[in-house]
Amino acid sequence: MIEINRISKSFAGKHAVKDLDLSVPDGKIFGFLGPNGAGKSTTIKMMTGILPIDEGSIIMNGIDVAKEPMKAKHQFGYVPDRSDIFLRLKGIEYLNFIADVFEVPKDIRKEKIEYLTKSFGIYEALNDHIQTYSHGMRQKIVVSGVLLHDPDVWILDEPLTGLDPKSSYTLKEMMRDHARRGKIVFFSTHVLEVVEQLCDEVAIINNGHVQFKGNMAEMRQQFKDDDNLEQLFLELTQNE
Amino acid sequence: MSKAWKLMRVMVKMQLSMANKSSMEKFGYIMIGLMMIPFGLLILFFIQGIIGNMYAALEPIGNEGVILGLLFVMMTFIFCFTSIGTVLSSFYFAEDVESFISLPFQPYQILFGKSAVPFLSLYGLNTILLLPSLVFYGIHSGSGVLYYLLGFIVWALTPIIPFVLTAIVLMFIMRFANISKNKDRTKVLVGLLGFVFAIGINVLVRLDSGTGNAAEMLTQQNALLELVTKFFPTAYFSSIALTDIGSWTGLFYFLLFVALSLGAILLFLTVGQRFYFKGVLGLSGGKRSEFDEEKVQKHVKQQSILMSLWKKEIRIIFRTPTFFTQIVVQSLFFPVFLIIIMMLDPNGPLTGWGTQLNVIEGKKVILGMFGLTVVALGINPASFSSVSRDGKSWFNHLYLPIPASKVILSKLLVSFFMNFLSILLLSLAALIVLKVPFIIWFLWFVISLITGWIASIAGLIIDLYTPKLNWTDEREVFKGRFIGIVPLALEAAVFGVVILILWNSGLEGIWTVSSVLILVLLIITAITQYFLNRMVQQKYYKIL
Ligand SMILES: Nc1ncnc2c1ncn2[C@@H]1O[C@H](COP(=O)(O)OP(=O)(O)O)[C@@H](O)[C@H]1O
Ligand SMILES: [Mg+2]
Repeated sequence: MIEINRISKSFAGKHAVKDLDLSVPDGKIFGFLGPNGAGKSTTIKMMTGILPIDEGSIIMNGIDVAKEPMKAKHQFGYVPDRSDIFLRLKGIEYLNFIADVFEVPKDIRKEKIEYLTKSFGIYEALNDHIQTYSHGMRQKIVVSGVLLHDPDVWILDEPLTGLDPKSSYTLKEMMRDHARRGKIVFFSTHVLEVVEQLCDEVAIINNGHVQFKGNMAEMRQQFKDDDNLEQLFLELTQNE
Repeated sequence: MSKAWKLMRVMVKMQLSMANKSSMEKFGYIMIGLMMIPFGLLILFFIQGIIGNMYAALEPIGNEGVILGLLFVMMTFIFCFTSIGTVLSSFYFAEDVESFISLPFQPYQILFGKSAVPFLSLYGLNTILLLPSLVFYGIHSGSGVLYYLLGFIVWALTPIIPFVLTAIVLMFIMRFANISKNKDRTKVLVGLLGFVFAIGINVLVRLDSGTGNAAEMLTQQNALLELVTKFFPTAYFSSIALTDIGSWTGLFYFLLFVALSLGAILLFLTVGQRFYFKGVLGLSGGKRSEFDEEKVQKHVKQQSILMSLWKKEIRIIFRTPTFFTQIVVQSLFFPVFLIIIMMLDPNGPLTGWGTQLNVIEGKKVILGMFGLTVVALGINPASFSSVSRDGKSWFNHLYLPIPASKVILSKLLVSFFMNFLSILLLSLAALIVLKVPFIIWFLWFVISLITGWIASIAGLIIDLYTPKLNWTDEREVFKGRFIGIVPLALEAAVFGVVILILWNSGLEGIWTVSSVLILVLLIITAITQYFLNRMVQQKYYKIL
């Protein structure tokens, strides 16, 4: 369970996120939908402790993210939107580093690294520097790192962008599987279609405000009824 | 060509612009500028002294032309040496090359633009060193207007040939380096060229001067000028051009020099047109190799977070060419250079020099060595780049459950490690070659370790205070960041006072002074550590 209580964040006096209120139940895939610049990444960065929260609070599985950051950070795994990870490390060195951070025992990490990277098709690239990876491969190594320590909560910022169809399918299956086990998957996207395929619950964010929250059926109804949302709907469906 | 000029303007602007610098940084530049004034005066004074003395000695035997010859040779060496670093980083290591290559520019146009910044730095040196030297020589020899006119032209052309030679050699080397499998490692090796060059010159000079001393050689007719001609004929041409003013020979050599310099530019652009892209395309780093399952498995092992962090930092430093040259080579350059020079010349003046330390008063020995250590360890590029090195990947430390104190400690241990390496190397030199008495070495060793730790903390505090994370090219972490000398200035001030007080105190005896010094250093360590902890609390999670 993640509770986001009226959080705000501004950069140089301009609000990127304003009074955002959300609650994400267990066992659900939660889609965080919005056009570019809506405030998705900013919200996620506050959830993960990358940005300080200006106002409000975030409680993750009963732990206040701002008050007990170390404890909270053990709860989730995060896939950032940019693949600016440590590029000069080899893939395997990165994974081993993550495993050290989360104190994954040696035989488990060995088995998992092999299983995960093989299913993403990057096993044979593990000995190369991450710098030589394509965007999709970088995405995959980060996702492998997250799955390696098996956190309760997955937080993924535009995880499907740049993945090939096969890996995209694999990741979606893994997300469904995780939710089925009663855990949380929270991910952001700017593509409506992805939400429709994947999500149980959705929140639509625009200009730092939540415009809608509810399940899929409610969302479709709302798009028809609400003139404001219709414009947004167009933005989210064009291209891609 | 107008395209090339435009390109050059853009490149220079991108590298030297003050626009996106904070006011604090601008203030720093002004401070550096002011600090440079007395330094510049000192250099002028120094040059004037050398030229005056040499002129007085050589003029009676009619050999004063040697001064200019020597001057031009030295400038050529200096220009070649500095060009190695600037050319490599501007032509090959800067990652912006790739974005220019995709635009419709000819190789020679890109090369022309990229030469601007290395050239500007050469002209900086040229103005500080060669210009006043030529003027002083003119004053001593009572030369006329013609000397100054020709001198000015020669001055303006002097950097060209050394620059072009270095650039062409590097272009050939990089053309072949580019074929290698591990590009980053190759770049690191090429980055060591400057070092090899410095040692090579040293060896050459030794071989050539034989056993004779410089004074003896100076009096030998033309011996020096011959040495000059052997390696750098153009230096000879320009010195004749300025000493034989008004004669046909002088004019001939002057015109020859001008023609050669202009020819060099053409040669540079022609060679560049053919070879530059061959060296630079596909150079951007990383290693890809045949898959080897065993190698992968070898990396899978559990270790403490601190160890893991430390290894990550060290790997990044050693694998990133810019970091390697700026951090590893720079910290170890001096000690390694010293050791190699001493090994090349086992019977040189320095050997066994340490035994004389016994004669000097213990207090002065310890304080003197401490002072040198502060200067040697004060600028530690690993420390003031601790946070900035991470650049855009810094945020990874924030969402992972690693306590800030551990990340910071790992970074401290890395910069301390660099200091530790130089202390070890210097110890080898001190014990084996200089034969410094064991007790003195031991005390110095302990004192240096603590000093190194303090210096690492100081650099880290400053970097945490004004980190530079938004770079696109690693060089930005070091270039144009004045903060490197802030820790040194602070340390010089604090330790200077400590040395002064101890020097003038009634304390005597090597053990007493050392114990007091170590005690003081430990107190300073505690204080800086306290400031670091506070800085971490205030800044660590708010840098982004
Ligand atoms: N570090 C920053 N400094 C200033 N403005 C920022 C910063 N990060 C994000 N913003 C602004 O905040 C808004 C939301 O950005 P973001 O959360 O990244 O959007 P997205 O929904 O596409 O992920 C945008 O208007 C963006 O320009
Ligand atoms: Mg985003």
